[in-house]
Amino acid sequence: MPIYIARKLAFFILAVIAASIAIFLLIRGAGGNVAAVVLGKDATAEAINALAQQYGLDRPMVVQYFDWIGKLLQGDLGRSFRTNESVADLVVSRLSISIPLCVSGLVLGLLIAIPAGTYSALYSDRPLGALVALLSQVGIAVPVFWAGILLSLLFGVRLGWLPTGGWTNWDANFWGAVRSLVLPVISLGLILGASLTRYVRSAVLDVMNQDYVRTARATGMTQMQALLQVGLRNAALPIATVVGLQIAELIGGTVIIETVFSLPGLSRMILANVAAREVIVVQSTVMLIIIFVMLINLIVDLLYGVLDPRVRLAR
Amino acid sequence: MTSLATAPAPAPARATRRRRRRNLTLTIGIVITAAFITIALASFLYLPHNPNIPRIPDRLLPAGSPGYLLGTDALGRDIFSQLMVGARTSLLVGAGAALISLLVGTVAGLSAAAFGRLTDETISRGADIMLSIPGMVTALVLAATIGSGALTTILALSAFFTPSFTRVIRSAALSVTQEDFVIAARLYGRPTWFILLRHVLPNVAGVMIVQFTLYFAAGILTEAGLSYLGVGVTRPSISWGMMLNEAQQQVGISSPLAMWPGLAIVIVVLGLNLLGDGLRDVLDPKLARRSS
Repeated sequence: MPIYIARKLAFFILAVIAASIAIFLLIRGAGGNVAAVVLGKDATAEAINALAQQYGLDRPMVVQYFDWIGKLLQGDLGRSFRTNESVADLVVSRLSISIPLCVSGLVLGLLIAIPAGTYSALYSDRPLGALVALLSQVGIAVPVFWAGILLSLLFGVRLGWLPTGGWTNWDANFWGAVRSLVLPVISLGLILGASLTRYVRSAVLDVMNQDYVRTARATGMTQMQALLQVGLRNAALPIATVVGLQIAELIGGTVIIETVFSLPGLSRMILANVAAREVIVVQSTVMLIIIFVMLINLIVDLLYGVLDPRVRLAR
Repeated sequence: MTSLATAPAPAPARATRRRRRRNLTLTIGIVITAAFITIALASFLYLPHNPNIPRIPDRLLPAGSPGYLLGTDALGRDIFSQLMVGARTSLLVGAGAALISLLVGTVAGLSAAAFGRLTDETISRGADIMLSIPGMVTALVLAATIGSGALTTILALSAFFTPSFTRVIRSAALSVTQEDFVIAARLYGRPTWFILLRHVLPNVAGVMIVQFTLYFAAGILTEAGLSYLGVGVTRPSISWGMMLNEAQQQVGISSPLAMWPGLAIVIVVLGLNLLGDGLRDVLDPKLARRSS
């Protein structure tokens, strides 16, 4: 086990370093003279130089990279060029929208996918089982933002039950904030649920074909009892892996859904700052998201090792 | 892995039903995909109207208005013509991204399978790292830094699709390289590149085709998302995602505007996914049995 953990940790650190270099090169390499772009066309050469000096943009790229990473490790995410706000403060204020959105979307997706996938795996011959499979096939083809637009058309414009967009702060109006999140969460959850249903279905199918389930059936259990007492525990492992991998997808969906419903979340902040060439803000925020996703994958891997001895003993 | 003795052959009625369902899936997939490609190509030869020239007197006409099959948008531009040009974008970006990923992924996947432990570890871990980077976030950063447009979108998508092509092709190639005919070829003294091209490649072709089809669909979905955010394709090019963005600003006034491009995306992506699933059943029976 310690070797397994060490190997996973080493890979995690390597992955974070590789990703940070890629992000840095991507944003800086293509950006041109950052200070000139930030200040706009009318800026004087002196102002541009002053800004470049103030933020150390005139130093060699390698120095800037290590400076950025060094500060990141100490928890200093840098500051915005324009407003001088600290990136950490910016991020934290946006997380109060993005985290509830992401987590509730994931939970809703799982609440849909686990029963639906299990049912359609067990009863693929029944009409309802076939319907579930069909709906999940169609759901995978629906872009999450179109789902959002349709839901806001129906429940926002036509019926007027829920807001079509916008945001009131949690402490200003708690239920108002909840109402603003209902449609975005449903859009995310439905679409995520559709694709997770397929994975759950194939994981359950796989498990139900195993010898231990056949043995359990032979002892007189019904198919459902065998699944609940023996099968689900085994199907949980591949499902957990898929959920870990879907986190990256989920964050992509959140980016779009925040735009559909004009929620001032983390991804809208990234979009706005990309347009404004706030390279430090974009760089640090994107890096935070990547570290977060990789951390989740690390945790899933470690859990996998705990739950399934075969994994950690392999190789 | 179930052994032959424990996996009972499906009852004849069941096998027939499965085969019938498989044929239906494949047929629907082929029909939708063919229609989509035909419409995209036809848009180069004929368009009912210029999709970019506004005609304010004809604005927001409903579907079925004379001369406008699906009506017009807020500036009086013909919806159907816009959808046709949008199909062109989806075809270009979806197929382009899937093709680049296929080429790079095949080279990387075959190399990982054939050139020893170190190469394999480097390529596989590299692919793992790329897979854990959220594609959407990075694609929009990429689009914004090097400028939006169809080409940028294709490159961004290729970067995020390639690792999964690499993984899938690597594992397919690995199982082929254990086969007797590959070992025989090696003992016969054939060079590695020859074995890869002559023996391994044809045997992973099925996996490659399926993967291409499924990521063609994924490419269309992602492109629509990026264009909806305004960092993908922009006018005078037209994308279904961009049309939805424009429609949403009119949503209170004219909801049909938000229907057509969305429906187009769903139908085409569904068609390609069905085609991919159907092809997998035909080309790769081993995999199909597990996921059916």
